[in-house]
Amino acid sequence: MNDNIVITDLARRFGRFKAVAGVDLEVGAGVFGLLGPNGAGKTSLLRMMATVIRPSSGRLRLLGRDPGSYGPRKEIRRRLGYLPQNFGHYPSFTVAEFVEYFALLKEMPPQRIPAAVASAIERVGLGDRARKKLRTLSGGMLRRAGIAQAIVNDPELVLLDEPTAGLDPEQRVAFRALLRELGQRATVVVSTHLVEDVGAACTEVALMDGGKIVFRGTPGELTAGAEGAGAAGDAPLERGYSAVLAQARATAAAAARS
Amino acid sequence: MTALGVPARVRTPRVTRVVPVAAGRLLRLELRRNAMIWTLPLLAALFWFDTYRRATGLPPLWTVRGMAMQWRAMFEFLPFVAGVAAWTGSRDGRRRITDLVGVTARPGWVRQLSGWAATTCWAEAAYLGCAAVLYGVTAAQATWGGPVWWPLAVGATCIAAATALGFAAGALLSSRFTPPLVVVVTLMLLVVVSPSANSDAVGRLSPLSTETLGTSAGIFHSFIPDLSIAQLMFYGGIAVAVLGALGLPAIAGGWRLRSAAAVVTVAGLAAAGTGVGLAGTSDVTANGVVIPALHDTASDRPTPYTPACDHGGSTIPVCLHPAFKTYLPALIAALDPLLGEVAGLPGAPVRVTQTASLQFDADATIDGSPPVLHLTVFVPTDTVPNSRYTTDDFVDPPQLAAAATITRTLIGVDSSGGGSPAQQAVAAALLKAANVPLPPPGVGLPTPGQMPPAGSPAYAAAQRFAALPAATRHAWLAAHLSTLRAGHVTLAQLP
Repeated sequence: MNDNIVITDLARRFGRFKAVAGVDLEVGAGVFGLLGPNGAGKTSLLRMMATVIRPSSGRLRLLGRDPGSYGPRKEIRRRLGYLPQNFGHYPSFTVAEFVEYFALLKEMPPQRIPAAVASAIERVGLGDRARKKLRTLSGGMLRRAGIAQAIVNDPELVLLDEPTAGLDPEQRVAFRALLRELGQRATVVVSTHLVEDVGAACTEVALMDGGKIVFRGTPGELTAGAEGAGAAGDAPLERGYSAVLAQARATAAAAARS
Repeated sequence: MTALGVPARVRTPRVTRVVPVAAGRLLRLELRRNAMIWTLPLLAALFWFDTYRRATGLPPLWTVRGMAMQWRAMFEFLPFVAGVAAWTGSRDGRRRITDLVGVTARPGWVRQLSGWAATTCWAEAAYLGCAAVLYGVTAAQATWGGPVWWPLAVGATCIAAATALGFAAGALLSSRFTPPLVVVVTLMLLVVVSPSANSDAVGRLSPLSTETLGTSAGIFHSFIPDLSIAQLMFYGGIAVAVLGALGLPAIAGGWRLRSAAAVVTVAGLAAAGTGVGLAGTSDVTANGVVIPALHDTASDRPTPYTPACDHGGSTIPVCLHPAFKTYLPALIAALDPLLGEVAGLPGAPVRVTQTASLQFDADATIDGSPPVLHLTVFVPTDTVPNSRYTTDDFVDPPQLAAAATITRTLIGVDSSGGGSPAQQAVAAALLKAANVPLPPPGVGLPTPGQMPPAGSPAYAAAQRFAALPAATRHAWLAAHLSTLRAGHVTLAQLP
C-alpha cells in the first residue's frame, strides 16, 4: 500500500504542554477519521500534517516527501487541501474569487483555474452562490466555501479539521458523499468529534487522547469495542468511542500508577 | 450539497513558467477587492477641499501648480494611503486566515507583494488622477511652459513608500487598531517634519521642502531636479527596503527567494542612504537646490523666451515673461500713469521689463543706458483654500516697487523720508497724479513715499503740484529735475 502519510514518533510541545506525544501513523488513500475529545491533540497533529507547524520531534513524511525542507514542502503544499478548524475568510471576496484566490496560491496552472473553480464550487453545492460575497453567506455556506478552496486543486492529500461544523443534516449527508468521492483517489484525513461523520464516510479511524493514538481500526472495529463494556452513548459507534476511550484512560492510569 | 457525477481531475500542477500570468491574476483579484477603492471618494474630496482649491488660487504656473502636488497633496494622501495599506497588510491576521494562506505553495512574500501592489496601484491612480485634473486645469490657464513632472514623481514615490511602511506595519502588528495608529503617526510625522523641511540639508528630503522650486524655476530657467532625484532615491529606497524586508522571514519563501529579498532590502537601504548622502551635500541657490554630484549645469542656463510686451498711453513698453502674460494689461494700467509722468525725463526708464526674481518678493531697479526699469514679481507658492491670487495681488507689489524706484532714482526721495521737503512734495504729487495707492504701513509692500502731513507747507505744495495739468508738471520737471534731485529746489519754488 502506498502510504501518503507516514508519521513516526511525532511530538509537538507548546511550552511545557505536550499536545502531541509520540504518534505513529501510516495512512494511504481513503477517508481517515481522527476522533478524540477536545484537547486530545487532533488539531495539532493535523496542523503538523498541513505543514502549518513543525514537529518538536519525530519524523513526518507526506506524499513521500519530507516537509522539513522547503522544496519538498512546497511540492506537498501544491498537492494539499486544508480546511482549518477556525476558518477565516475575506468577507469582500465572492465565493468564486475566494476559491480562485486559493487556486492561484496553490500554484495551479492558470488555464485550468476557471474550470477547477467552477467545479469545486459546484461540488460543494454553492454553484448558485458563486457570485455572492462571503459576508452574505451563512456559517454553513462559509464552511462549504472553505471546503471548495480545499479541493479546488484536486489534492492528493486533504486535511479537514471539523469540516461539518455548522452544516445542517442535509448538507452533512452530501458532504459525506463528497468525502467518499475524494477518498477514492486521495488521502483524506478528517478530524472531528462527531462520530456519525466517521461512521458514514471513513474507511479507517484513529482515536486520540492525551496526545496519543489510543485506537486505530475500522469504524466497525470501534463499534465492536463497546460490546460488553456497557459504555454510554446513543449510537453503537458512540458507545464504541466511549468504551475505547475509557479503556485507554484506564490503561494509562494503571501505567502511571505502576 | 451535491457531488458531481464527473469530478474534475486536475493534474498535479507544475509551476514557474506560468508565474507571471498567475501573479497578474492574483493582482487582478486584489485590485478588484482592495480596501483602497473605498477611500478614493474621500481622497478626492480632501484633494478638492485643500490642495485643488489652494493650487488653483495660485498663478497658473506649471512649477507652482506642480509643487502643490508634492507639498499640499502629501498631507491628504500619505496618512490615508498608509492607513489603508496597514489595513490590507493586517488582513490575514485580522481575518484569522494565516494558517490557510500559510500552507499554500506560493511564497508568502509574493502574496504580500500582490496585496501591497494592489493597494499602491489604487493609491497612485488616485494621486495621478488628482494630478491630471489639476494639470488639466493648469493647461487651460497657463500661458507658457509645460507640465513639470519631477514633483509628481516625488509625490508618487512618497506614496509608494507610505504604502510599503503602512503595509509592513499592518503585517507586523495584525490588529484592527494598527491602521488608525498608522494614520495618526503619519499625520504627526508630517506635522513634525513640516517646519524642519527647509531647516537643514537632510531635512530637504522631506516632500514638504519648499526650496526645490527656487523663485523662478520653470520660468526663467529650467526646473532643477537635483533634490527631486535625491528624494526619489530616498523614498524609492525606503519602499524597496521595506518590501524586501517582508521577504526575509522564513515563512516568506525558500532560500532563493529570501536571498533575493535580502538583496532587494540591501539595495533599497543603499538607495535610501545615497539619497540622504546626496541631500547632505545640497545647497540652496537662487535657481533652486543644487546637489553637486547630480547637477547638470545646463539647467542653470536661462530658458530663452520672447517677452510679452505692450504699452499704454505713455508709449513706454512694459514687458513680462510670457508665463505672466495674462497680467500684462493690468500691470500696464497700473504703471502707465506714472511712466507718463516721467517719460522723457533724464534718467527715466524707456522700457519696463521683468527679470528673474531672486527672492519671493517684488523689487524694481533702473539701470542701463538707455535706462530700463527691471521688475521682479511676487509669486506665492501656497495659499489658504479659500484665498485666490488676484490680479491686484500680482500688480500692486511691482507697481509700488516701480513707484519707489522711480521717485528715488529720478527725484531723490526714499521711503524712509529722506529728501528735501520739495522732493517729498513732488514725489507725493506724482504718486497722487498717477493714482499710485500708498499702502498702509506694516503690510510688507514697498513704500514709495508718503503724503506729507496735512496742513504742512509740503502738503500744500504737493496738492498744488498734483493739481497742475500733466503737461505743465512734465515741463517743469524736465526743466528742474537735476536741480530738484540735487536738493536745491525749495517748496516756494514749486509751481
